[in-house]
Amino acid sequence: MKKLTKETLDACRSESQRKRGNWIKVGMSTCGIAAGAGDVFAILQNEAQKRNLDIRIEKCGCAGMCYAEPLVEVYVEGMPQVVYGDVDKETALAIIDKHISGKRLLNDHIYNVKVDRS
Amino acid sequence: MDTQVNGNTKVDIKGLAEKWKGKRGNLIMILHEIQNHYGYVPREVSLQLSEVLDVPLARIYEVITFYNFFKLEPPGKHTISVCMGTACYLKGGAKLLDEIKNMFAVEEGQTTKDGLFHLQVVRCLGCCGLAPVMMIDGKIFGKVKPDELMNILSPYVKGEV
Amino acid sequence: MTMGYKKIVLLKDTGSTGRTKEFYNLFLEQCRLENLQDDVQIVRVADIGMYDKGIVVRIIPGDITYAGVTEAHIQKIIQQTLKNNKPVKELLFTRASKQMRVVLKSCGEIDPENIKDYIACDGYQALKTMLAKSSSEDVINELKTSGLRGRGGGGFPTWMKWKFARQIEADQKYIICNADEGDPGAYMDRSVLEGDPHSVVEGMIIAGYAVGATKGFVYVRAEYELAIERVEKTIEQAREYGLLGEHILGSDFSFDLEIRLGAGAFVCGEETALIASIEGKRGYPSPRPPYPSVKGLWGKPTVINNVETLATVPVILRKGGAWFASIGSENAKGTKVFALTGKVKNSGLIEVPMGITLREIVFDIGGGMLNGKKIKAVQTGGPSGGVIPEHLLDTPVDYENLQKLGSIMGSGGMIVMDEDDCMVDIAKFYLKFCVDESCGKCAPCRIGGFQMLGYLNKISEGKAGEDDIELLERICNASKKASLCGLGQTSPNPVLSTLKYFREEYLEHIRDRKCRARKCVDLLTYHIGQEKCKRCSICMRNCPVNAISGDKQQGFLIDVNKCVKCGKCFDVCKFDAIIRE
Repeated sequence: MKKLTKETLDACRSESQRKRGNWIKVGMSTCGIAAGAGDVFAILQNEAQKRNLDIRIEKCGCAGMCYAEPLVEVYVEGMPQVVYGDVDKETALAIIDKHISGKRLLNDHIYNVKVDRS
Repeated sequence: MDTQVNGNTKVDIKGLAEKWKGKRGNLIMILHEIQNHYGYVPREVSLQLSEVLDVPLARIYEVITFYNFFKLEPPGKHTISVCMGTACYLKGGAKLLDEIKNMFAVEEGQTTKDGLFHLQVVRCLGCCGLAPVMMIDGKIFGKVKPDELMNILSPYVKGEV
Repeated sequence: MTMGYKKIVLLKDTGSTGRTKEFYNLFLEQCRLENLQDDVQIVRVADIGMYDKGIVVRIIPGDITYAGVTEAHIQKIIQQTLKNNKPVKELLFTRASKQMRVVLKSCGEIDPENIKDYIACDGYQALKTMLAKSSSEDVINELKTSGLRGRGGGGFPTWMKWKFARQIEADQKYIICNADEGDPGAYMDRSVLEGDPHSVVEGMIIAGYAVGATKGFVYVRAEYELAIERVEKTIEQAREYGLLGEHILGSDFSFDLEIRLGAGAFVCGEETALIASIEGKRGYPSPRPPYPSVKGLWGKPTVINNVETLATVPVILRKGGAWFASIGSENAKGTKVFALTGKVKNSGLIEVPMGITLREIVFDIGGGMLNGKKIKAVQTGGPSGGVIPEHLLDTPVDYENLQKLGSIMGSGGMIVMDEDDCMVDIAKFYLKFCVDESCGKCAPCRIGGFQMLGYLNKISEGKAGEDDIELLERICNASKKASLCGLGQTSPNPVLSTLKYFREEYLEHIRDRKCRARKCVDLLTYHIGQEKCKRCSICMRNCPVNAISGDKQQGFLIDVNKCVKCGKCFDVCKFDAIIRE
C-alpha cells in the first residue's frame, strides 16, 4: 500500500464506500465471542460458500446489546436491515434458509429493524 | 547450560533484550513475554534477565511482586478465572467460586493437588452483560449457573481439552 | 409500487402479560381471512425498543408504530393501515430513541480490523482537515467550544489539559491513552478499542498535533487480549497507510504510537501511577502538582486522556465544537457512554446525551428491572463512586449532580440494584476491592481502608455497636482528606453514600441483627417449614456438613449449631420449604 496523502485520502474513502450488495455482520467483540459468535460466524461462512450465495460475511465490533449476544445483522436488497440476537447454530442456519434464501424474517430473534427514513 | 525450564523450551532472553533494547521502561513488557512463554516468571529466568539487562534482581522482583498479573509459581494445566466484577458479584459470582472450591477442594489463588486447575478470582472480564462470567484458559463462559459447572469443567477433567 | 419490499408487521407484548404469541396468532388468522397472507408478513420480535407500553405493533415500510394495541384493534389496523396505508390515529406512538450515538456510532457497524471501513465512514477526515487548515491553537479552541470534559472519571476539561502541555517548552512531549479500565462493571473502553480502534488512534494523533508531541503510548490492561490484538493491528495499518510515523498524510507532522500493557493493578488507572508503570516501575502514584501536563512521563509534559475522550475528539473536529456543545445539558456537553449492568433487563453499552435522568436510562433504555423486582439503587463510578437511591432517580446525569448526591460520574459503570442487594454488603464489596488494590504507599489509604473494612465486617456479622457507625464515618473522612491519590480519596465513597441513604439498613444489622436482603450470612438462620416440607430428603442429601437429620416418616430438622449457612438446602428445595431469615 502506498502511503496516503491529504489528496489521496478522499479517493480511498470513495473507493471504500463503493462496496454495496448483500451482507451479514457478526458482532465479534469479547462478549460476542464469549456468547458463541465464533461458531455462528463459521457456520454462516460455510453455508454461504456451500450454497454459493451472493453475500459478504463480515466481522464487526460490539453494538452494545450485550444481553442479546451473539448479534447478527443482515442486509439483503429488497428487505429491511435487521439485527438478530441470541443467535445459536440453529438460528444461524435459519437466517440463511429463511431470511437470505426465503426472503422472510425470523420470529422471536429480532432485536432491531433499521428503516431507511429517506 | 540446559535448554529447558520446567519442561518448556527456554525463552531466548538475549533475543528479547535485543528486541526491547533502547526502549525505555521495557521491563514490564519483557516480563509479559516471559510469562506468556512459561505461564509464570521462573526465578532462574529473572536471574538471567538481570545479567543481560544489567538490572539488579531486586529491581525485577520489585516489579513482579507489585503486579497481580505476574506469577512466581507455575500455574496449573488449566486456569479457571472466576469474575468478581460488580455485575458478576450481584448475579451470583461468589456462588460459582464456592462451588468450584468445593468441587476440587482448592482455595482461590491455589492449584489443585494434581496440578490440573489453578483457581483465581479476577476483577472484571468486561462481559458484564453475560454475568456471571468465568474463564477457562482464555475461553469465556457467560450466564453460568452453579449446576452447569460440572458440564463445563468435565471435558477438562477428562483431558479432552 | 414505490416501496422496496412487501409489508411487514412487527409485534411484541411489552407489558408483563407476555401475550405475544397469542396476539400473533390472532393477527395472522385475521390477515388470512382478509387474504393478505401473501402481501403481509407478520413477525414476532424479541425486542421492539419500547417497554411497558402494552402490545406494540410496528409496520414497515412507512414505519408506523402503535402502542397499547388490543384484539379489538386488529381489524382497524388491517383495514386502515395494511389495506389503505392510513394510520390509526388513536394508537399512534412516536418512537424516539433516548440514546444518541456519537462515540459508539461505528461500533458494531464497521469491521474494526479493516482500516478502509473506518476511512469509508469519514475516518481520518478530521486529521486531514486539521493538517491542512488548523493551527494547534485552533484545535484547542475548538475543543474549548465543545465543552468536552474527561470521560475517565475526573471530568477535567480536555482543552485545558492540552493547553497546559502545549504551553511548556520541551524537547519531547507525550500523549498517553489510558485504557487501563479497571472498574469492576465497566467495559466501555474495551468495547471502543475492540469495535472502533482507529477513532482512538486518530484522537491521539490530533492530541499530538495540538500539544506538539511526537510520541504516544496506549496503556491497555493485559486482561483485554482481543483489544490489545486489535490495537496492534490498527497501529500497523495506520503506519502502512501513512497515518502514523514520519510526515503524516504527506505533511510536516510526525507522530507514532506504541502499546504498553498493564499488569493487573487497579491503581495504575490513576495518571501518576500509570506513568510510573509505563516507565517500567511499580505503579506508585506521586503527589500532584506537578501535574503530568507539566511534568509527566520521564519528566516531560504529558497529556493523559481516556479512551472515550480521545475517540470523541475526531467527531468534534469533524462536526464542530458548537455542534457537540448543543448536545447535553447546561453543565455537561455531549454524550456519555455507560455500561448498564446488574439487575436490569437489557444489560449493555448505551450512549446518551448528558442530562438524561437515571430513571430514563433504567426504564426506557434498559427495559426496566429483571424479574419484576423493585429497584433499590443505581451505583455509578465503581469503587470510587456511590449509590443513588430510588427516590433520586429523576436527577439529570452530569458531573456536578452526581457529585452532589455523593457519587461520581466515573468512567461509566452503572449498576442497577434491587431489593435482594444488601447495602452493607455492597459497601463491603467495593471497599474490599480498594483495600486489595491499595498500593500501600500512604497510610490513610493502607491502614484506613483496612480499618473501615474491619468495621463493615463487624456490622455484617452482627457484632457492631451503634457507636461503630460514627467511628467508621470518621475514618472515611480522614481517608478522603489525607490520602495521596484518587484511590484512597474516593474509596470511602461507597461506604459514605450507602450510610447517607440507607442508614436504617445499617442500623437494622446492628440493632436487630437483621439483613433485610438476606445477604449477610452471619445474620441468617435456616430452618425447615414443616407445613410445606414434602419430606423428599433432597436437602439432607445435599447438605455438605450433614447438619440436616431425620427421615421420611418423621420429617427433617436443621441443626443450627452444625449449619454453615451455605444455602445449598435453600437452593435445592423444590417446595420452598426452607425458611431463611
